[in-house]
Amino acid sequence: MNIRESELPGIGCKFEIITRNQDKLVIVIHDDGRREIYHFDSDDYDEVVSSVTLSDQEARQIAGILGGMAYKPKALESVEFAFDDLIIEWFQVEPNAPAVNKKIGDLDIRSQFGVTVIAIKKKHSQKSHNPGPDTVIEAGDTLVISGERQQIKEIISKLLSNKE
Amino acid sequence: MDHLVLEVGTALVLIAIGAMIANRLNFSIIPFLIIIGMIVGPHAPTIGIIDLTFIESNEIIQFLGRIGVLFLLFYLGLEFSVGKLIKSGKNIVIGGSFYVALNFVLGLLYGRIVGMPWSETLIIAGLLSVSSSAIVAKVLVDLKRTANPETELILGMILFDDIFLALFLTTISGFLLSGSTSFLGISLSVLTSVGYMLLFFVVARKGAPLLNKWLNIKSDEIFIIVIFAILFFIAGFSETIHVAEAIGALLLGLVFSETEHRDRIEHLVIPFRDFFGAVFFFSFGLSIDPSTLIDAFWLSLGAVVVTLIANMVAGMIAGRRAGLSHKASTNIGLTITARGEFSIIVANLGITAGLNPILTPFTALYVLMLAILGPLFARESKSVYKWLNKVFKWDEKAKNEKKEKLKVAEKN
Repeated sequence: MNIRESELPGIGCKFEIITRNQDKLVIVIHDDGRREIYHFDSDDYDEVVSSVTLSDQEARQIAGILGGMAYKPKALESVEFAFDDLIIEWFQVEPNAPAVNKKIGDLDIRSQFGVTVIAIKKKHSQKSHNPGPDTVIEAGDTLVISGERQQIKEIISKLLSNKE
Repeated sequence: MDHLVLEVGTALVLIAIGAMIANRLNFSIIPFLIIIGMIVGPHAPTIGIIDLTFIESNEIIQFLGRIGVLFLLFYLGLEFSVGKLIKSGKNIVIGGSFYVALNFVLGLLYGRIVGMPWSETLIIAGLLSVSSSAIVAKVLVDLKRTANPETELILGMILFDDIFLALFLTTISGFLLSGSTSFLGISLSVLTSVGYMLLFFVVARKGAPLLNKWLNIKSDEIFIIVIFAILFFIAGFSETIHVAEAIGALLLGLVFSETEHRDRIEHLVIPFRDFFGAVFFFSFGLSIDPSTLIDAFWLSLGAVVVTLIANMVAGMIAGRRAGLSHKASTNIGLTITARGEFSIIVANLGITAGLNPILTPFTALYVLMLAILGPLFARESKSVYKWLNKVFKWDEKAKNEKKEKLKVAEKN
């Protein structure tokens, strides 16, 4: 994917995106907070096929949907979502990882790594639920954790992935 | 009985009505306010207590309009940034310079051909060369063209146009306002105004840290008082050394654009710019006697034709140089044709210097035509392109180019 960013003096900022399928997409962020998404004709990059105008709030909600916050595509093992420095990551616990069959409270994740476990999705259920200190982590569970990029990396390598 | 406030209130009601109509029709408010200003005035009737002649309040309305010019140019200076200029690519520099040069030279030629003296010719060339940043930006957003490949180039060329406007106004005001007739006197005056401009550039580059400290005022109330005090004082002072007050405002805007308070000043100034700017367009219309319009009609029409041709040619060349298609290049010329606030400001300078009064109706008609035609042409650019395509057969050329490329690719 090829992204080109340019400034539009007096209007805002423009991102020109050519995807792997050779689709051309342009996102214009206006200085007043509006966003516009334009889809161009694949055969003629000068012709707009359709466009959508979004308010700031709508754009954020849609960004969340696109980013996989509402529904995670089944094909993905881990998804990350960034708010400035804070990252939210979905990670499927690997078999034989150090954290397997341990309670969240015993691992002392928050003070050890500075990472919060927001939710946990058990291996055989579709539902996520709120973990407590007594929740036991099993192989194949998906943890939703948030923290800074460095801390997330650390907990994944030390606790959640298979070291062998 | 002093009905001053009522008269100004009446004027503002007219301005508000004009602005609302323009908004309903999705047009720039500039042409509407000029037309309304032209309709009322000394020749208009008085209806009971509503006095549409605006004789008593003319002076104060003109003064409010003058403030509008200060704000318009102050804002232009603020928007300007040397950093942006340095960042603008080769295509923009070439396209922008060529655009300004072509329009200016054709303007000079046109002025001489219709038999104007040199001073008037310079003013005409200047006002033919400056497109309206406000209308162009509005057209791009309204027509949903912001995503198009030619948009960066259009905005870059407009930026160049604005620089030209600043340089042109500064030198021409030294030339026209010197009040002397000898070559030496005029040269001295031009040098003074250019030197004055350079002084501001130096202050902008070197004085930013100091200004950052001085303007670090928490309270908005105090901040705006300080900014406006500096603005009016500098503008008024400029006038005393034969630099038009508008230029003083523009240069001050440039200085502030280099400080970290730029965005804050911009936000504070915008409502004032919009309000007083609107009064300025109205007061410009008010200063026109409709009976003089007929004399200026052919002159204006000729200028419109010159501008259309110059814009199409310059846009096509700039666009093709930047590697855009013929279709995108057609859009450039049609979009930057719009003329508005800056042309009127240039004409105003000429009028202030006591040049031929025909300049006022000439500029009014010229701006009215192009402020309305420009956005219309931009909207209908597809039809214009189709028509031009019949003449120049660009599509076939593009197809042939593609075939050539394929042949070359096959050979390799």
